[in-house]
Amino acid sequence: MTIKEQLIEQAKQGKVLAHKCTKCGYLHLSTVYFCQKCGSKGFEDVILDGTGKVATYTIITVPPAGFEKYTPYAFVVLQLDNSELRISGFMGGIATPADLPVGTRAKITGFDERGILMEKQ
Amino acid sequence: MGSVTFVEKVCVLGAGSTKYGKLADSIADITTQASVAAIENAGIDPKEVKAAYISNVFGVADKQVHLGPVLMSNLGISDKPSLSIESACGSGSVSFREAYANVAAGFYDCLVVTGVEKVTHTGTEWTTTYFSYCSDFFYEGQAGASFPGLFASMARAYLTEFNATEEDFARVAVKNHDNGVLNPKAHLQKKITIDDVMNSAVVASPLKLYDCCPFSDGASSVILCSEKFAKEHGGDYIEVIGSGRGGSPAALQGREHMTTIPSTKIAAEAAYKMAGITAKDIDFAEVHDCFTIAEVVDTEDLGFFEKGKGVEAVREGRTKLNADISINPSGGLKSKGHPIGATGVGQVVEVFDQLTGKAGQRTVKDAKIGLTHNFGATGASCAVHIFQSV
Repeated sequence: MTIKEQLIEQAKQGKVLAHKCTKCGYLHLSTVYFCQKCGSKGFEDVILDGTGKVATYTIITVPPAGFEKYTPYAFVVLQLDNSELRISGFMGGIATPADLPVGTRAKITGFDERGILMEKQ
Repeated sequence: MGSVTFVEKVCVLGAGSTKYGKLADSIADITTQASVAAIENAGIDPKEVKAAYISNVFGVADKQVHLGPVLMSNLGISDKPSLSIESACGSGSVSFREAYANVAAGFYDCLVVTGVEKVTHTGTEWTTTYFSYCSDFFYEGQAGASFPGLFASMARAYLTEFNATEEDFARVAVKNHDNGVLNPKAHLQKKITIDDVMNSAVVASPLKLYDCCPFSDGASSVILCSEKFAKEHGGDYIEVIGSGRGGSPAALQGREHMTTIPSTKIAAEAAYKMAGITAKDIDFAEVHDCFTIAEVVDTEDLGFFEKGKGVEAVREGRTKLNADISINPSGGLKSKGHPIGATGVGQVVEVFDQLTGKAGQRTVKDAKIGLTHNFGATGASCAVHIFQSV
């Protein structure tokens, strides 16, 4: 499996595949091939819980093609628990800002043609 | 620019644009129209043009990629080289930068730099979809993020972090439409009110339709040349005194702060350093206001205002035409329009017109130094240029 396929498999189980630099310890999403801090290539896999708080989001009412049937929906940037990492995803069933204040707890629940899927926790 | 030694000072000798808006002519035709306008404005013989730099993103949508040779054939100089550059909405300024570097290095003494886009015929749904391909698609576009959605995410982060309201963002749109009314080439030449913005349909909360620039067709072109070439040809010209580029994490999630654009800060720092000036020396700026939030963030990242204070400057009217610093005298992307491949070149056209006394009613009084700031996507790529009147 490619790294991206592994990331997708983990997302389907509600997890995030991260890469920790074996030289300096800096943590990245696994789609990075060289450490952005020290430039080193060696990483060890770290599996993080796909849980955290909504860092920011939007509710899309004018969607790109293929998303009409889900509209309105939220695009969410999630601040993961116990890490500096953030990850983005699709969250259905969000119609107004009152449905999703910044800081709301949320989790990764899967992956499909809408990318990484999230729900409120 | 480190230890790079330039052979030549670089000047803009002529400029031209089509109108921005929904255009009937083909992408090849409007590319040619803008280029011819720039050549005629410069008063040069087309055979003096040594090469063309073209910026364009979605030529495929109008059934014409490889635009360079088509343009050169139309200009009667089909033996001359050309290339196309794509850097999303920042294509124009990135292409300008590459053209600049080639003149500065002495490879060419005269170039045409033309940016173009032709997308409105594809309709809102497909233009929205095509533009989403400019994001880090795996994490953003694939999850249904449109560009209004990505900037809306920045806007919500800004509203959460700083003392700002949606009405403050609306003031950016009102100000840019006030300027755009004075620009005969602008796409949206009409005055609007804060209420018009607040009552317009939500596109991606908290951004509403009037917080967003329009989808536009259009082409802009400038003639870039060595100082020697400019002096020999007479006519009005301006000098390029600073050029900087920068990058940011492609996806918003990877940025330390979601209310600042790292590439803008890096590009601006390099451009100011090369010009030997600071943000305080800039008389006016054409900045990348694809959405109202973007102009607020840009004016902070360019050093005109402290982080979190850009919104106060707008509220106090300090960025209006001929106030403290005129931001987007052309009307900006918001009112002038945003043909994405053309925008960065169009900003240079505005600076040329301003600094050579051709900006009519929207003239920034006594302006000597102008800045252009143009980025791709949510600022993943960026170029900043600084120009001085001669």
